[in-house]
Amino acid sequence: MEQVPLAHLLILSSALFFLGIYGFFTRRNMITMLMSVELILNSVNINFIAFNKYLFPNQLEGIFFTLFIIAVAAAEVSLAIAIIINLFRKFNTVDVEEVDTMKF
Amino acid sequence: MSASTIIFYIVSALVLVFGAMSVFTRKIFRAAIYLLFSLIGIAGIYILMNMDFIAALQVLIYVGGIIVLIIFSIFLTHQAGDKLPKPLFKRIVAGASMAAFGLIVVLGVFYKTAFKVTTEAGIDHSARSIGRQMLDYHHHGYVYPFEIVSFLLLAALVGCIVIAVKIQKK
Amino acid sequence: MINESIIIMRFEWLISLMIVVLFILNLMGVDKKPERFMNIVNVMLIINFVAGFIPIKDGYLFQGFYHTTALIVLEKNILNLGLLLIAFSAKQWIIESKRPAEFFMLMFSSVLGMYVMLSSGHILVLYLGLELSSLPLAALAAFNTDSRKSSEAGVKYILSSAFSTGITLFGISLLYGAVGNLGFDAIIQHIHEDALTLTAFVFILAGFSFKMSIVPFHMWTADVFEGAPTPVTNYLAVVSKGSVIFIFITVLYTVFGKLENAWLLAISVLSVMSMTVGNIFALRQQNLKRFLAFSSIAQVGFVLVGIAGASNMGTDSVVYFLVIYLLSNIALFSIVEAISDETGKVTISDYKGLYKSNPFYAIIFTVALFSLAGVPPTAGFFGKLFLLTSGMGSGMYVLLGFATINLVLSLYTYLRVVKAMFIDKEEERMPIIKKSLLTNFVLAVCLIGIIVLGFAGVFYQYIDSISSQL
Repeated sequence: MEQVPLAHLLILSSALFFLGIYGFFTRRNMITMLMSVELILNSVNINFIAFNKYLFPNQLEGIFFTLFIIAVAAAEVSLAIAIIINLFRKFNTVDVEEVDTMKF
Repeated sequence: MSASTIIFYIVSALVLVFGAMSVFTRKIFRAAIYLLFSLIGIAGIYILMNMDFIAALQVLIYVGGIIVLIIFSIFLTHQAGDKLPKPLFKRIVAGASMAAFGLIVVLGVFYKTAFKVTTEAGIDHSARSIGRQMLDYHHHGYVYPFEIVSFLLLAALVGCIVIAVKIQKK
Repeated sequence: MINESIIIMRFEWLISLMIVVLFILNLMGVDKKPERFMNIVNVMLIINFVAGFIPIKDGYLFQGFYHTTALIVLEKNILNLGLLLIAFSAKQWIIESKRPAEFFMLMFSSVLGMYVMLSSGHILVLYLGLELSSLPLAALAAFNTDSRKSSEAGVKYILSSAFSTGITLFGISLLYGAVGNLGFDAIIQHIHEDALTLTAFVFILAGFSFKMSIVPFHMWTADVFEGAPTPVTNYLAVVSKGSVIFIFITVLYTVFGKLENAWLLAISVLSVMSMTVGNIFALRQQNLKRFLAFSSIAQVGFVLVGIAGASNMGTDSVVYFLVIYLLSNIALFSIVEAISDETGKVTISDYKGLYKSNPFYAIIFTVALFSLAGVPPTAGFFGKLFLLTSGMGSGMYVLLGFATINLVLSLYTYLRVVKAMFIDKEEERMPIIKKSLLTNFVLAVCLIGIIVLGFAGVFYQYIDSISSQL
């Protein structure tokens, strides 16, 4: 694994990150928007691990950051899904364009 | 090129392809499954980087927890095989241009930056040493963030219950 | 060591203890009798507020993960004041919501997150505090599970919050690549202006802008403010926004202090956009909660003018202004809440002729609006004056010109509501609102604060003395 340059890992992570950004802006379904956020968080995790391994191997800071991100992501997703399902019971849809009781 | 390097490139190509498919596909259930493959691929990359513990967590929490949750929520809110409506054209233009511009800028910055890559082995990052440091009070241990996360999980739990439980009306 | 940690982390210990007490009370079934339960909670809140004034010495804990200074203690006390007043004014609504224990558990968790965030000495702790303060708020925004608007607000809040966290985290990961250690002290030592650090800063700034609802990252604000239950909106507008601004100043001035040349322009552009868009959109709102949402966007734009000063005066003026902003907004939201609980009316045209039916509310509403607009006898005038003076130090005279134009524009925006209350003929007469003791107490505190703080130079001097020690 030593032969893989750091730059290639960073290309992978930034491509994933901007895929997530694109998905978040174009998706109309709340659950798929949430999935785009997961892609973003995973790209961040790859960044942390790669920097930790290649640049600063004498400490575990990046690894710990990744651990905490994973824990928080789990909490965030479960809460988001609870709210989305509650919304579905009211609107019978999870499409952001159709959920607009509030207008200017 | 060694075998592990070749595997790395194959796996990362898979991660990107499945990630892209999960963003672009119009079948919602497939989107979740593609995301699942993508996340498993990321776990594979962690294994190739010798980060076994993180890879295990990735599989346990992302694949075993979050994706399962997402699939459940899809089944609760959709008919299986539902097709998503087409995204709005102006959003595609805005999102694609923003993402492309951002990607070019970030990659350009990475290209310009001279990272000082070290080849030294560094300290042990096995589950044992991570666990020791996680609960250490003295030597730059992470016990304080650990406690905060426990409160965060508690708050998320209460929040989920508040939203999910129906109020009994007298 | 243990004793020391209890003393230094007093705020966090107390609020965690309160969460545990709430669990016990919930198990004992005390919250089935909401009146009694609310009295217990109010006593706890008063203890929490008073205990905040016991002197505390500065210190570090956990090898720099946690630190506290006199300024941080003051900021926590300001948040405590906001929490106390909001809980008092929301008493009736909370009793009717049937779930008081859960409401306060979530609210206290969120406050704990803010304390953690304010005292953080490491980006990891800052991130966790930010999440702990915003996740329970999403549940609170969706708290009214019978209402369509409320669940829509919850979804919009949690999706935009998750997205903004993702962006911030990407910036943090780049910063980690550039610096190698995410403790504040280490970053201050190792940071220097290069492309990677600047990119990291842009992402982090974008994430913070989402949380502070700065234009162009403000899309969620109006919908969430309108849909969420009024006490939660109050909390979002005042306590949550205030805490993020406090930590934003710290991050900007200390952690990114060396990049000042780079962020000055960015902050100025964001400031001009927020003020202008906030004021112009506020003009066309009918719903008062939406109106206050856009007004708060404009106010945050004004705070950025003070931040652009990048000096000790910047910190002073922002903290001073936020206290006044807190008092004015709590007064406004308490009245909106009292009236909408009783009659369900929240639009500006419903408030026509309020002076005839409820003169007490109309007068306080006007004073609070004048304070937000910065009309001279109120403290808001001095708050804005100090922000402008601080902004003068940045030498960005275009920014100051825009700020002055917006000052006039905002006056017009706020006077529209005042005109509706005092001059316009009502279509149907508003019933006389039954006054509850606690709401009146809250309004009185806000009124006294708005008037007295403007003339009591002592308070500003106190802020100045503790912020210059740092």
